[in-house]
Amino acid sequence: MRKQLNTVGLALFAVLAFLAVLPLFHIIIDVYTKGISAIVELGGLSFLFDIPPTPYDNKGGVGPLLVGTLYMTFLGAVLGVLLGFPLGVYIGEFRKEFFANFSRGGVNILVEFPTITVGLFVYALFSISLVDINPMLEGISNALASVAGGWVKHFIGGLSQFNAYAGALALAIIMIPYVALFTASAYASIEQNTREAAYAIAGREYRAVFIVLRKAVSRAVLAAVLLGTAKIAGETAPLLFTAFGNVYYAPFTEATGAIPLWIWYAAQTPYEVQIASAYGAAAVLLTIVLAIFFAARLRQ
Amino acid sequence: MPNPISNPKILAIIAVVVIAAVIAASFALMQPSGQQTTPTTPTPPPQTTPSPQPTTQPQTTTQPTTPQPTTPPPQTTPPPTFSRGSLTGGGATFVAPQMFTWSRRVYELSGGAFQVNYQSIGSGAGAAQFLEKKLDFGASDVPMPRERFEKVSGRMVQFPVIIGSIVMVYNIPELSYKKVGKYLNLTSEVISLIYMGEIKQWCDERIQKLNPGVKLPCRDIVAVHRSDGSGTTAAFTLYLTRAYQPWNETVGWGYTVRWPADEKAKGTGAKGNEGVAQAVLTTSYSIGYVEFAYWAKNRDKYDAVGGVAYVKNDNDGKYYFPTEQNVMAGAAAGLERYRRKYGSYPTPDQDWNPVSIEFSNPPSGYPIMAFTYVFLWKDYAAEGYADASTRVTLLKQFFRWVLTDGQKSENVVEGFIPLPRELAELGLRALDFVKS
Amino acid sequence: MFGLVLLFSVVVYLLSIFLLMAIKFKWGMRLAGSISLVVISGMMIVFLYEAWPALEQYGFGLLTTAGWDPPREEYGLLPAIIGTLITSAVAIAIAVPLAISIAVTINEMLPRSLRTIFASLVDLIAAMPTVIFGLWGLFVLGPALADFINTAVGEYVAAPLSLLTASILLAIMITPYAAAVIREGYALVPKVVEEAIYSVGATKLEAVFIKLKYVKNYIFGGLFLALGRAMGETVAVAMVIGGNYSRLPQSLLESGITLSSLIALQFPNAAAYAYMIPVLFTAALMVAVLGLVINGVAIYILYKTQI
Repeated sequence: MRKQLNTVGLALFAVLAFLAVLPLFHIIIDVYTKGISAIVELGGLSFLFDIPPTPYDNKGGVGPLLVGTLYMTFLGAVLGVLLGFPLGVYIGEFRKEFFANFSRGGVNILVEFPTITVGLFVYALFSISLVDINPMLEGISNALASVAGGWVKHFIGGLSQFNAYAGALALAIIMIPYVALFTASAYASIEQNTREAAYAIAGREYRAVFIVLRKAVSRAVLAAVLLGTAKIAGETAPLLFTAFGNVYYAPFTEATGAIPLWIWYAAQTPYEVQIASAYGAAAVLLTIVLAIFFAARLRQ
Repeated sequence: MPNPISNPKILAIIAVVVIAAVIAASFALMQPSGQQTTPTTPTPPPQTTPSPQPTTQPQTTTQPTTPQPTTPPPQTTPPPTFSRGSLTGGGATFVAPQMFTWSRRVYELSGGAFQVNYQSIGSGAGAAQFLEKKLDFGASDVPMPRERFEKVSGRMVQFPVIIGSIVMVYNIPELSYKKVGKYLNLTSEVISLIYMGEIKQWCDERIQKLNPGVKLPCRDIVAVHRSDGSGTTAAFTLYLTRAYQPWNETVGWGYTVRWPADEKAKGTGAKGNEGVAQAVLTTSYSIGYVEFAYWAKNRDKYDAVGGVAYVKNDNDGKYYFPTEQNVMAGAAAGLERYRRKYGSYPTPDQDWNPVSIEFSNPPSGYPIMAFTYVFLWKDYAAEGYADASTRVTLLKQFFRWVLTDGQKSENVVEGFIPLPRELAELGLRALDFVKS
Repeated sequence: MFGLVLLFSVVVYLLSIFLLMAIKFKWGMRLAGSISLVVISGMMIVFLYEAWPALEQYGFGLLTTAGWDPPREEYGLLPAIIGTLITSAVAIAIAVPLAISIAVTINEMLPRSLRTIFASLVDLIAAMPTVIFGLWGLFVLGPALADFINTAVGEYVAAPLSLLTASILLAIMITPYAAAVIREGYALVPKVVEEAIYSVGATKLEAVFIKLKYVKNYIFGGLFLALGRAMGETVAVAMVIGGNYSRLPQSLLESGITLSSLIALQFPNAAAYAYMIPVLFTAALMVAVLGLVINGVAIYILYKTQI
C-alpha cells in the first residue's frame, strides 16, 4: 500500500511538473523555430549588426538594440547586485531583528510595483536632476576625451532626458528585490553550526558574512543573480520612458534602443517582416540569457 | 572591502560578452555609411514588390473631387539635401511604421548621416513630452487638445502628415465572404447602436433592412473595442459623434470612452489593433474596428469567418468600400467643406480641433478615417532647445521631404494613405512658420 | 539644485553603508537593509505627489466606484482592484502546486546531468519578454481555452479574452519564479536530515513531504515572489484580459481589468486628459497598498504560528 502510494504520489508530482513546463517549452520552441527561420531570412549573422527592418525591407537586424540591451542589462545587473545583495544578506542573516521584517516587507512590495511605474519614477528623478548634473558630466567627459580620445563621448557626457543610464537605473530597481529575496532565503537556510564555525574562523564579522558564509550559499546567490539578470534583460515597460528606444546606433547618453522595446513594437505591427524580426530578436535575447546561464552553471 | 558580487567568474563572462558587443558596436559606429548600408542596399528590389501602386498614383493625382491648385506640384522640387545630425520624436503608435520608413529613407539618402529616431509612446504621451520639450517633434492622432493648445497658442504649429482609415470587420461564420461572396452593409446608426448595446443580435431588423437578401443569424453580437487608449478609438468615436446624434449625447469621443455595450450587451475590450483583429477572428458573431492594414494583411482569414463592411456615407447616401481612392476622396472633401465653411484653409498655428471635426464624416467618400498630426515649435531657440539652429535645419529638411517625396507611393507603407495635395501644401506652409 | 542634493545624498548614503560595515557591522547591515524602504518611500512620495490631484478631486470614492469615462473625467478603480485580487488569487492557487512539483521533480527524479539543463530552461522563462507571453496568450492560450470550455460546458459561454485566460497565463508566467525559490531551498536540505528521514524507513514520497515541511519558509518566500509578480504584471495581462473598466466582474469567464494592466493600457494617452494621470498613479499606489496589507497579514500569521 505504501509502495503504491509512493509511486502514485511521485508520478503525480512529475505529471504536474510536466504540465507546468509544457506551455513554457511550447513558448521557447515556438520562439526558436520562428526566430531562427526569421534570422536566416533576414540576413543570418548580419542580423546581429544591422539596423531593424522597415515594412519595405527584406533584410534587417537588431544591432543597435542588442548593444543597448547588453549595456543596460550589464549596468543594471551590477547596480542591482551591489544594492540587492547586502539587502538580502541583512534580511536573511539578521531576520530575527524586528527591523528586518520591515525590510523584507519593503522588498515584497518592491516586486509588486508595476514595472512601468518604476520607469516613471526614474523618469521623474532624471527630469528634476539633469539640469544640475549635466554641467558636471560634460566637464568630466571633456576632460576624459582630451586624455583618452573622442570615443569617451559615446559613454559619458551631458545626458539627454532619455538615455541608457536612466534605463539601467530602472532595471536595477527592478532587479533589487529578486536578488534580495533569493539571497535572503539562502542565508536563512544556513545551519546554526556552520554559521558559528564561520564566525569563529573569519575573525571579522563582515568577513564571516560576506566571504565565508557566501561560499556556503554561492549556488543560491548565483541563481539569484542569474534570474535577476534574465528578468531585467527581458523587461520592456521600465525602459519606455527612460531608455526610450532607438533604431540607430547612437551614444549611450542619448535615447538607447533595447531588444524588448523592439519586440514590443514590432510584434504589434501587421507587417510580416517586422513580426519576423520580433521573433528573431526574441530568439537572440533568449540565446544570450541561455549562454550566460550555462556558462555560469557549468563552471560550478 | 569584501566584494559583494557573488561570483567573479560570471562577472567575467558577462563582462567579456558586453565588451565584445560594445567593440562590435563601436566598429559599426565608425563607418555607419559603409558597413551599415551594405546589408540594407537591397532596398530597391522591395520597392518593386508594391508594383501595383505606381498605377494607382496617377489616379490619386487626378482625383475628381480635388480642386486642382494652380501651384506647381511639389514633386518637382530639386533633390533634397540632408545635414548630419539626429532628431528624437515620439507619439502616436499608429503612424510608427510609416515614420520609421520615412526615417530610414532619409537615413539612406543622407548616407547614414541623418538619424530620425521615432518611438511609439502613444499620442497623449507624445503631446505631453513635446510640450515638456523632451522631444524635438511630437506626433498625435488628434490635434493638440484645446486647453493645452491655448497655453502654447502662437508658439507651435501642427499639420497632418499621413492618413489612415478604419475598417469594420466582423465574424459571422454563416455569412463569411467565402460562403456568400459578399460583404455586409453598415451605417453609422447601426454601428452606434451596436456599440451602445441597443442592437443586441445580428438578426435585428435595423441591420436586416440594410442587407436585403441576406439571412442574418439570431446570435448575440460581441462588440469588440480597444482596451488601450488609442487614436483609432478617437477617430472611430469622433466619426460616430459626428454622424449619429444620440452617440454624441450618450458616449462622445476620446482615446477611451465608456462603452455602453460593455454594460448592456456583450461588449469586450482587446489591446491594440492586433488584439481587436485577433479577438474578432476567434470570437464568433463579433464585430470590431481596426486600422486598414490589419485587415488588408489578413484578408483571407477574415473572408473565411466573415469579412469587412461597406460603410454608408450619410452625407451622399452611398456605400463605400475602404479603398485608398475612397479615403483620399473623403479627406479632400472634408478639407473643401472646411474651406467653404470658414472661407479659407486652416493655418498651421491655429487650434486644429475644429479642423479635425470638419474632416470627420466628410460630405463624400469613405467616412471613417484618421489623420496623424505633427507638432513643431515655432522658435526652438526661445523654447530652450540646445543647438536650436541645427535642430531646425534638420526638422525642416526631414518634414519637407516627408511632405513631398515622402508622400509618393514608393515611400508610403501599405495601409497608409498619402495626403491630398492641398493638405501636403498646408504642411509645407507650416514649415515656413518655424524660425531658423 | 535639487539634482545636486539628490546626487549628494545618494552618494553619502551608499558610502556610509560601506563605511559603517567596516566600523560597526550591524549598523552597516541595518542601513543596507533599509535600501528597500528608501526606494519604496521614494517611489511612494513621487506617486503620492502625482496622485494628489485625483485624490483631492475624487476622494475615497475613486476606490469604491466603477466606471471609466475619460471624456467626462469620471473614473473608478473598483473593477481593477477586484480584478487584481481575483487574477492573483487564481494564479497563485495554480502556480504554487506546480512550482512545488517542479522543485520536487528536479531534485528527486531527474538524473543529475539533466537537472542543470532542465532548471536553466525553467529559469529561462524569466528572460522571456512579457510581450511574447502576451502574444502566446492572445493567439494560442485564449482561443484554446475558449474552445475547450465552449465544447465542454456549452456554446458561446467563454470568450478568448477573459479573467480566466489572464489568470492561467499569469500562473504559467509566475511558476518559474516560485519554483526557483523552492528548488534552491529544497537542494539545501542538509544531508543529515535526509539521511535521518530515510533511516526511519520512510518511502521517497514521505521523505518528499517531510522535506517540503522543512523548506516551508522557501515555499512562503516563493509564494510571495510569485504573488508580487502576479500583481505587478502589466504587459502580458493587458493583452489577454480583455478590458472592461465600467462593469464589475461577475464571473471568471468575463473580460475584466487589473490595476497594473489598467496603467499599462491607459498611460500612453493619459496626458490628453486632466485627471487620468493622477488616477493612474492612484492605481499604482493601490497596488502598493494591497501588497502592504497582504504582507502585513502574512507577517502576522507567520508570527502567530511561530515559523
